[in-house]
Amino acid sequence: MISLEHVLVVGALLFSIGLFIALSRRNAVGVLMGIELMLNSVNLNLIGFARFVEAPRPIDGQVFAVFVITVAAAEAAVALALAVAVYRLRQTIDVDRLNLLKW
Amino acid sequence: MRPDLNLDYALLVPEYILGLLALAIIVIDLMMPKIRKDALPFITAGGLAVAFAVSLLYIDTDDNFAGLLSIDDYTTFFRCFFIAVTFVTVLASAQYVQTHLRHPGEYYSLLVISTVGAIYMAAAQELLTAYIALELLSFSLYVLVSYAKMERRSNEAGMKYMLLGAFASALLLYGISFIYGASGSTSYAEIAAAFEGGTEGFTFGTLIGLTLIVAGLGFKVAAVPFHMWTPDAYEGAPLPITAYLSATSKAAGFALLLRLFSGALMPVIDDWQFMLAAVSAITMALGNLIAIQQRNIKRLLAYSSIGQVGYMLMGITALSPEVSSALLLHMTGYVITNMAAFTAIIAYHNASGAEDVSDFRGASDRAPLLAAVLTVALFSLAGMPLFAGFLTKFILFQSVADNGYFWLAALGVVASLVSLYYYLTVIKEMYVSAPPDSFQQEGRFRIPLIMQGAVIVLTLGVFFVGLYPAPLFELTDSVAAVLFTS
Amino acid sequence: MTVAEVVFYLLALLSVIAAVGVVTVPNVVHAALFLILSLLGVAGFYILLSSEFLALVQVLIYGGAVATIILFGLMLTGGRDLPAVGPGAQWPLALLVSGALVVLLLTAVLNTTWPRDAGEMTLISINTLGSVLFREWLLPFELASLVLLVALIGAVVISSQEERES
Repeated sequence: MISLEHVLVVGALLFSIGLFIALSRRNAVGVLMGIELMLNSVNLNLIGFARFVEAPRPIDGQVFAVFVITVAAAEAAVALALAVAVYRLRQTIDVDRLNLLKW
Repeated sequence: MRPDLNLDYALLVPEYILGLLALAIIVIDLMMPKIRKDALPFITAGGLAVAFAVSLLYIDTDDNFAGLLSIDDYTTFFRCFFIAVTFVTVLASAQYVQTHLRHPGEYYSLLVISTVGAIYMAAAQELLTAYIALELLSFSLYVLVSYAKMERRSNEAGMKYMLLGAFASALLLYGISFIYGASGSTSYAEIAAAFEGGTEGFTFGTLIGLTLIVAGLGFKVAAVPFHMWTPDAYEGAPLPITAYLSATSKAAGFALLLRLFSGALMPVIDDWQFMLAAVSAITMALGNLIAIQQRNIKRLLAYSSIGQVGYMLMGITALSPEVSSALLLHMTGYVITNMAAFTAIIAYHNASGAEDVSDFRGASDRAPLLAAVLTVALFSLAGMPLFAGFLTKFILFQSVADNGYFWLAALGVVASLVSLYYYLTVIKEMYVSAPPDSFQQEGRFRIPLIMQGAVIVLTLGVFFVGLYPAPLFELTDSVAAVLFTS
Repeated sequence: MTVAEVVFYLLALLSVIAAVGVVTVPNVVHAALFLILSLLGVAGFYILLSSEFLALVQVLIYGGAVATIILFGLMLTGGRDLPAVGPGAQWPLALLVSGALVVLLLTAVLNTTWPRDAGEMTLISINTLGSVLFREWLLPFELASLVLLVALIGAVVISSQEERES
């Protein structure tokens, strides 16, 4: 049988890989990809808990996951708009070269 | 399916008004291009005033909506608080938006929508609602920060803010998933019930979850080491939005933290106090030290606001009814002071285009009123007697020390002294340095009446809180008590 | 090993390897395709955990909307010309942080006995999900619609081409 731990381990791996991508990619869209991966591992955790954990209302985890997906999609849209706007002015979305402002 | 659910929509009327207002602004902007230029901010302000008045009807209500929101005095307090901040921001924006920005309708309507997010962050008694409200506020701010899209810095700031904000949300959510796993619920009350056994029910998984939640929310309120976005977003954003960021986004973060930690995590207080104490100490030390080197007034205030976050985190660390009341009092004083400072800077910027500290030289001759207001505000931020900052900080530090964190309060006093130094450099520029040569031809700046009125009212507020705090203190006392009764 | 377990391990292998692929391939467009593969793997997990509705949403939103947005984003911003991981000092630090994180998370996951772990799955029908979503969680649902409205307004305002520019 698959147990809760199985699911959580996969979630932890995906989250860490997503974190690495978000921190190391130079392309802003690449950073966004890492964040999407992190959000997905969150959803995996939520679904796993919703399935296995004895709770007053086991459905809450699933509902939460639906909302996370919604917000993630909206996030991608705004991030794309920003990337396009920045590219139009600067001809690059390399996060390392966007240094008008100091980090 | 829960039959006992309270779905009384009448509890949410102020937010309906705000939502309708936001839509109305966009429609007016679209349909009536002639009146929109001058009238929009005033229509917005009028709608906000109505929402404010309606919010007052809910004083002494003690109810909840579907177990998701509490409508109690705490919520009423923050409803009035956030609506008032938006009101001031809208009025302070009027001239700036006309000269610098496009799409004024969307600008004002996003400000109004973000207020709804901020209010529900304070009202939420459940993690999912709190999270969505947080995202509502954050999304509006991402867009508003990058609103000056012809300007490179604004775009770049918006992109960095957005990517780091989304990153922080992911950390927060991962933390929430662990807390949900450990307690089986997202409701604050049920989480508290699950942790009732104290440290015994507290596993390593819960600790990691809690750490990630603190990291995620730390990003949103700009606590060190999660503060990297703050100076950039502050510098790149249009000035009124910088003011709004420093007030609403911080206060909303703390409103959420206060409700979360007092409502859900009180039983395991021994397990997280050390963590917040450390974050608070680093935040006030680093924020104030880095502020010394800043030459841009927005960046300077950004780091100063990071320092202020350190003081406020103290209040979460030593969580108790008295400390919460002191925290609310300090937050109110800080926001009034900060709005006064920023409104003066916006007015000065509108007239001169100034952004660097050196541009403020001779401000006492060029714009005596603004220089005086800015001086009052900066002294208050530094915590000088007579002004709001002294009294609220004194009460906060004292109650924190009384609750076993004397060293943290002592560090806060030292950090305040450091902050006095960099505030004084600004004041020195304004009063000691001679105005630039162009002053002879240009003469004094003309400041619109509405800005003059706004800065004078806010300055009176600073003195009022500083000299006669009793009414406000009683108010925050009763508001904080709500958090600890249930 | 039961069938479910075999499928689980295959899916785990697929989504983790695809995720590693996102990091390692030099071309950003290929990275985006790997990302989609990994997210589809996650959808497989949802089916395995008998959350079919979530799997459906996952495929529609990620496989459809988000994937398109990301590919458009890369196309409109000339992302292909950038090397994936720069020579800057960023990535060793990132490796350190995420390495530490994975150790911490795995310890947390494996050493914690989740106090409420029932050990078996509770089944939830899609009808229940629907009625709960629109009754108990109606308020967050409405807030989410506001979030989408803000994203919509924001995307239009930020990315619209102004006359003055050209």
